[in-house]
Amino acid sequence: MHIQTPAPGLYDELFDENNRVRPHCRMLEQWLEKSDEGLIAEKRREANVLFQRLGITFNVYGEDQGADRLIPFDLIPRIISASDWQKLQAGLKQRVHALNKFLFDIYHDYDIVKAGVISAEQVFANPQYQPGMQALKLPRNLYSHIAGIDLIRHNDGDFYVLEDNLRCPSGVSYMLENRRMMMRLFPELFAHSSVAPVDQYPNLLGETLRAASLKPDPTVVVLTPGRFNSAYFEHAFLARQMGVELVEGADLFVHQNKVYMKTTVGPQQVDVIYRRIDDDFLDPLAGNPQSMLGVPGLYSAYRTGNVVLTNAMGTGVADDKSIYPYVPDMIRFYLDEEPILKNVPTWQCRKQKDLQYVLDHLDELVVKEAQGAGGYGMLIGPTASKKEISEFRSLLRARPDDYIAQPTLSLSTCPTFVDEGVAPRHLDLRPFVLSGKKIQMVPGGLTRVALKKGSLVVNSSQGGGTKDTWVLEADL
Amino acid sequence: MMLSRSAFSLFWMARYLERAESQARLLDMSLTMALIDVPEDRVEQLSVPLLVSGATETFYQFHQQITPQNLLDFLVLDERHQSSLFSMIRNARDNALHVRGNLSADVWESVNQAWLDMKELRKQGITESNASQVFDWVRERSHMFRGAAYGTLLRNDAFHFLRLGTLMERADTTARVLDIRYVMAMKTMDENSTQSFFEWTAVLHSLAAFEAYQNTYGHELEPMKVAELLILNPDLPRSLRSCLKDIALLLEEIEGETGRRSRRAASSLAANLRYGDKEYIAERGLHEYLVDFLDRIEGITSQIRNDFMGWK
Repeated sequence: MHIQTPAPGLYDELFDENNRVRPHCRMLEQWLEKSDEGLIAEKRREANVLFQRLGITFNVYGEDQGADRLIPFDLIPRIISASDWQKLQAGLKQRVHALNKFLFDIYHDYDIVKAGVISAEQVFANPQYQPGMQALKLPRNLYSHIAGIDLIRHNDGDFYVLEDNLRCPSGVSYMLENRRMMMRLFPELFAHSSVAPVDQYPNLLGETLRAASLKPDPTVVVLTPGRFNSAYFEHAFLARQMGVELVEGADLFVHQNKVYMKTTVGPQQVDVIYRRIDDDFLDPLAGNPQSMLGVPGLYSAYRTGNVVLTNAMGTGVADDKSIYPYVPDMIRFYLDEEPILKNVPTWQCRKQKDLQYVLDHLDELVVKEAQGAGGYGMLIGPTASKKEISEFRSLLRARPDDYIAQPTLSLSTCPTFVDEGVAPRHLDLRPFVLSGKKIQMVPGGLTRVALKKGSLVVNSSQGGGTKDTWVLEADL
Repeated sequence: MMLSRSAFSLFWMARYLERAESQARLLDMSLTMALIDVPEDRVEQLSVPLLVSGATETFYQFHQQITPQNLLDFLVLDERHQSSLFSMIRNARDNALHVRGNLSADVWESVNQAWLDMKELRKQGITESNASQVFDWVRERSHMFRGAAYGTLLRNDAFHFLRLGTLMERADTTARVLDIRYVMAMKTMDENSTQSFFEWTAVLHSLAAFEAYQNTYGHELEPMKVAELLILNPDLPRSLRSCLKDIALLLEEIEGETGRRSRRAASSLAANLRYGDKEYIAERGLHEYLVDFLDRIEGITSQIRNDFMGWK
C-alpha cells in the first residue's frame, strides 16, 4: 500500500525530516507496505461491527438522546519510542505531583500566593475555586487522583503540554478497547514487536481508588450521571473492569452524614466515590439545586470526612487555562526541580500587554476560553474567516479575562487511513496519571486524530478519531 | 449483595426478552392458524396475541381492523407502544445498559446485537413473507441470550434476579396463553375433528410443548391432558409447576433475609402446584384456576419489588 509522505515543516511520527522511516517504526511501515487495500478495508469494516456489538459508542451533546455513534477508529497505530516515553512519564508524574501540591496549598496555607508566584486574585477569584474546600483534610493530601494530560508534539520534535485535565478526564476506555481491537484484528503485528501492555490500567485505578481512603478495605463505587452522558460507556466499562458498583445519584442517599447505596440486602455504606459528575451537580443542596444527578447531603458527608470523592471537589481551579501558564513555576516552587515537559507559550488576555499582542496577531493565534473544554468556543486564527476573527475581536474586548491565546502549534502527523488512501493527519496524546500511595501510569494513552485534511481539532465531538497508542518496551 | 436498581434492571431485561420470545411464538402460530382456519374465524385467530399482551385497545387506536399485515406492523415494529417486539428488545437493551457492570461481555453482546438487528429490521420492514424468518430470529436471539447467561455468568444474585425475570414472565405467559387458546380449542371439539386437532396443536406449539406432549401422552390430543401438561408437569420448562419450583428455589438462593415474604408467597404457590391434580383443576374450572394463578403471580412480583427495593 502506498503511504503519502508528510508535508515539509511538520513532525511526522513515522517519517523523519528526510522522509526516511524512523527506526522504531520500521516494522509498522513494512507491514503497511505489504498489506493490500482490500484486506485493510475489510479489517476496518470488521472493527466497526465489533465496536457496535461491544457497544463502544458515545453520545454527542445536542444530538438525539440515545443516538449511539462510534468514534472513528484508525487502524494504524501511533508509536512512541521507549526513550520518548521515559521522558514523558517522568515529566507527567512530576507535573501531576506539583499540581496536587498546588491544590493542597491553595486550600490550606497559600504559600504560593504569599510567595508572589501567582496573584491572589487569579486563584481566589477563579470561578472554579471552592472556598468550601479550605482547610478540609483529605487522605494523603490528594486532590486529583486521576489526571489526563493533553500533549502535542511540535515540529521541533518535543512534546508540549497543551492542557491538564484534573476534574473527570475521560477517554481511558478507548485506550483499552483500541488495544484490544488491534490485538484481535492484527495479532501478527504484536508477535513481532515489543509493545508495552496497557490492560493493567483498571487494576491500578482500583488500587488508586482504594488508596484514596484510609480505611483498610473501603467500598468503592463509580458515580455516573446516567446513560445519556457522552461517556456512559466508559463509566460502565471501568466499574465492570474494577468489579465495583456503577451507581447513579438515585442509588445513593445520605444518613447522618454517611453515604449509603441501596442494595438488595439493605443500605451499604460507601467509602470512596469515583464520581464522573461535575462539582456543581454532586449535591443539589450545595450546588445546582436543579440537579437530578447528585445526592442530597453528599457535600456535608464529604466535609465531615465520611466519604472520599475522587477527584476531590475544587480541582478545576488548577486545570483552568488561566492557571496553566504557571504550572512550570509550580514545579520549581513545590518540588525545587526544573520542569521536564514544556508548556505552550500562552498570552493571558487579562493582561493588557498580552491582550494587545493577541488582538494584533489574531490571524496567527489560537484563542481559547479559559474555562472551555471539548473544542468548543475557540478560534484557530490561520484557518478562520474574517468574520470569525472580527467576532472574536469583539469578544476579547468585552471579556478579556475569559480568554487566553497560544501560537498555532503544528501538531505532529501520523499516517492514517482516509478516503484518499494512507495520508498524514494531525494528532495529540492524552496519557493518564494515577495518584494514590504512589504516582503510577500505564505506558500509553489515548491518541486522538483529526481526520479532516489539515485540521487541528482532534475532539471526538468535532469529527476526530482515535488510534491505538504503542509505547515500545525497548528501542532497537 | 447488589444494587437494588441493578437487580431490577436484570429482572426486567430478562423479562422483556422472554416476553419477546413468547410473542414471536404466539404470532407465528396465530398467522399459521389464520391461514388454516375458515375465513370467518381468522380474526379470532389473529386477535390471540393481542389478547395475551393486553394490547387490543391500543391496537384499535392505530388500526381499523385486524389483518395479518396490521398485526405484524403493530406487534413487531411499532415503537409507539410497549407491546411490540421492537419496544421489548429496546427495553431489554436499555436495562442491559444499566447493568453492564453485572453482565459478562457475552451476555451484553447478545442483547446489544439483538437491538442492532432490530433497528436494521425496522428499516427493512416486515411482511407475511419474511415474518417466519423474523420469528425464528427472535427465538434464536432469546436462546443465545439464555445460553450466554448460563454459560458465562457467575451464579450470584445478578444471575438469580435475571432468572427470576425469565421465569416470572414465562409462568405468566403460559397461564395467559393456555387460558385463551383452551377456550378456542374447546369450541371446535364437537365440530370438525381436523380443525380441532389443529387448535390443540396450536395451544402446544404456542408454548413450545408439542414434542413434550407427544413424548408424555402419545399422539391423541385430550384437553385435560394438555392442561395437565402445561400446569402440573414437573419436567416441562414452561409448565406452571416447574416455573414456580425454580422461582421458589431462586428466591431461597438470594443473599440475606430481606426476601422472606416473597419466599413465602412463592413457596406456597409452588406447593399448590407440586401437590395439585387435574381433578381439582377441572372441579375449580380451568379459567377460574388460571385467573387465580395470575393474581398470585402478580402478588409475588410486587412482593419481590417491596422486599428488595421497597425500603427507604
